[in-house]
Amino acid sequence: MKSFEYYNPSTLKDAVGLLKKYGEDVSILNGGTDLIVRMRDGHSEPKAIVDIKGIKELHQLVFEDGRVFIGGCVLLNDLGMNDVILKRYPYLSQAALSVGSKQVRNRATCVGNICNASPLADTATPLMALDADVHIYSDKGIKTVPLKDFFVFVRKTILQPGEIVTGISFKDDPDALGIFYKMSRRKEVDLSTVCSTVLRRDNEYAISFGAVAPTPIRLYKTEEYLNEHSLTEETINTACDMAESEVSPISDIRASEEYRREMVKVMLRNSLTEWL
Amino acid sequence: MKKIIEFTLNGELVEHAVDVQKTLLKMIREDFDLTGAKEGCGAGECGACTVIMDGRALNACLVFAVEADGHDILTIEGLAVDGVLDPLQVSFIENAALQCGYCTPGMIMTAKALLNENPTPTVEEIKEGISGNLCRCTGYKKIIEAIQFVVEDQPV
Repeated sequence: MKSFEYYNPSTLKDAVGLLKKYGEDVSILNGGTDLIVRMRDGHSEPKAIVDIKGIKELHQLVFEDGRVFIGGCVLLNDLGMNDVILKRYPYLSQAALSVGSKQVRNRATCVGNICNASPLADTATPLMALDADVHIYSDKGIKTVPLKDFFVFVRKTILQPGEIVTGISFKDDPDALGIFYKMSRRKEVDLSTVCSTVLRRDNEYAISFGAVAPTPIRLYKTEEYLNEHSLTEETINTACDMAESEVSPISDIRASEEYRREMVKVMLRNSLTEWL
Repeated sequence: MKKIIEFTLNGELVEHAVDVQKTLLKMIREDFDLTGAKEGCGAGECGACTVIMDGRALNACLVFAVEADGHDILTIEGLAVDGVLDPLQVSFIENAALQCGYCTPGMIMTAKALLNENPTPTVEEIKEGISGNLCRCTGYKKIIEAIQFVVEDQPV
């Protein structure tokens, strides 16, 4: 591994100063469970690394002003095992605890999972379904962007040099019922072949899938159809067919395109059937 | 580029100048000659490098050594107290819970962190707890039994 300059600033301002100084040649180090592997394999060779774990305010997981705020450095295990998250958002907890191994989740963060912008990021589908916002700090101040607009492509986000995600938040809505599904080759320590979250608030649905498009996506047409029809076996069938037409999976080492398409239908059917 | 860090290693406060690109695993193995933790996959899949930082099990191959600054690191070498083996170490020996031994230090450190968190895990919880550690000799049955043995041995 190539050497680099290592910085561990204690304020966002200092961190942004360093990020701007190095521009494209800098990597933010959070949990590091992805970055270190990429550096080891030579896919990433930053000249400088800015470790943001020393910035205290990024470690907050708070329930305030009717919102849930997950700070940039909140660990996946701490999110998944949080009492309130377990109680109100069990599907988010399941998603968080389905990433990697226990050891990985003791380092890896939810915001890191999102910022990597993997199409199969496990915590992305519950957060997309919850209409989460991403909070981005730069020397121009804080801006807030809907998570659905944050992802651009595989491993690409709208983040510009000099910007740091301080956290992700969503409206605290304990009445929203959600179902998280992770289809993978083995139960533990595996990447999702397909993952999904289906959310229901009264009779409004939010459906999000991962690993079936270049980014995690929402299935808006299917949602609209379900919002306008009462749930029956027949409407579920129609919804599953619509869902299949809204995804654009590829074949890769984990599964074929056809298999993924089929799984979208199976997972949506299984989720919706719970509410029949 | 080197950076001076200060951390607790197996109960002892140490100050050390370390190459910034060195992982925690490389540092403890190469600089401190603590070779219990192994590099298996180097990518967080196998758990052979598991050590305990501030009470939590993690993969030492996925942490830069400089990140240990100010933290408490426990490796398999620090488990025995005054030459007396940890009950887990005794149990792994008594139950012959190892074949080639490569995964054993990581397995024991993971089990140690698991038992600290949950002193009375069920078999399912043990299996889930060690799911981040691979044993390519596939000796899982004896490993699970060795951990169970410690659980059963504890005063209720």
